[in-house]
Amino acid sequence: MLLKTYSLAPTLVWHHIGNTVRQTVFIILLSMALGAAVNLIRPDSIPFVETWSMVDKLVTEDGETLAIPLEDAADLFADNAVVFLDARTPAEYGQGHIQGAVNLPWHEVDNYFETVIMTLDTEAMIITYCDGEACSLSHDLAMFLKDLGFTRVKVLVNAWTLWKEHDLPISTPSS
Amino acid sequence: MLQKKSSHDVALTIGYHFTRLVMSGVFIYASIDKIIHPDLFAQAVYNYQVLPGYLVNLTALILPWLELTLGTCLLINRWMAGASALAAVLMALFVGMILFNLARGLDISCGCFSAAPDEDPVTVLTLARDILFLIFSLGLVGLMFVKNTRRVGNTHKLYP
Repeated sequence: MLLKTYSLAPTLVWHHIGNTVRQTVFIILLSMALGAAVNLIRPDSIPFVETWSMVDKLVTEDGETLAIPLEDAADLFADNAVVFLDARTPAEYGQGHIQGAVNLPWHEVDNYFETVIMTLDTEAMIITYCDGEACSLSHDLAMFLKDLGFTRVKVLVNAWTLWKEHDLPISTPSS
Repeated sequence: MLQKKSSHDVALTIGYHFTRLVMSGVFIYASIDKIIHPDLFAQAVYNYQVLPGYLVNLTALILPWLELTLGTCLLINRWMAGASALAAVLMALFVGMILFNLARGLDISCGCFSAAPDEDPVTVLTLARDILFLIFSLGLVGLMFVKNTRRVGNTHKLYP
């Protein structure tokens, strides 16, 4: 009986592995079918394949491009003709930011309404930024400011990384 | 012939049902908002910056349904071997993604339980929560293995 038990065990293990693979494949296929079918019939469907680029997405309903090239942002900075708003967290801002930039964390924008937003001129040139090609904090902040009536708002995509890479002026805790 | 279950088996049975119900709730709850807002979830997937652009929407369309399907399997106690293995693989992937983005210092939305970009930012707590769910899922995989390979010599069925 003991021998029989041990000789059967590998069969059960293989049976279990086979079951696992079959069921996994079936669940995945079912999910793909459901996902595709529901997307086909729902009114607010999205394309199955789409080109994803942050610059392409930074377009307002009026067709205005929000993204500003690094060169233009650097020129405005050099002319002292722009306010940079850092949409990242205070901790990230504290570790380093574009020189002269003001911290306006998107996740707690309400707390900064009086201390930052109320002090800004609605006609002033404003550039919002965060970090990473896909970071949407700066985009969200820019749209928010536009809704508030700020007329000249731009977004510098992947700003913090690009700014450092091009050795443009920054402020860090050690500087 | 019916055998009386040992206290060890009772503990395994309780652990099995508790774990599968918890993970079922996690996956079903996580899928709802993403299914309702595929466009927002696609943005969350894109923000992770780990997939090529052409896979972003496909992932955003299929992943929530995968979560719902396997969550339902866990809930109704069917196809458990596949569902528990998939749960463990998904949780391992999610933990990996969160670790990767925390290491890169990206400030992005988790997209774990809400598709909205302003909610649920990725933090160390998110990582700890997902590691706990990964441990639960791996436990379920182990319990399924024990259940399906321990029948020989035992007349009663473990955690029916």
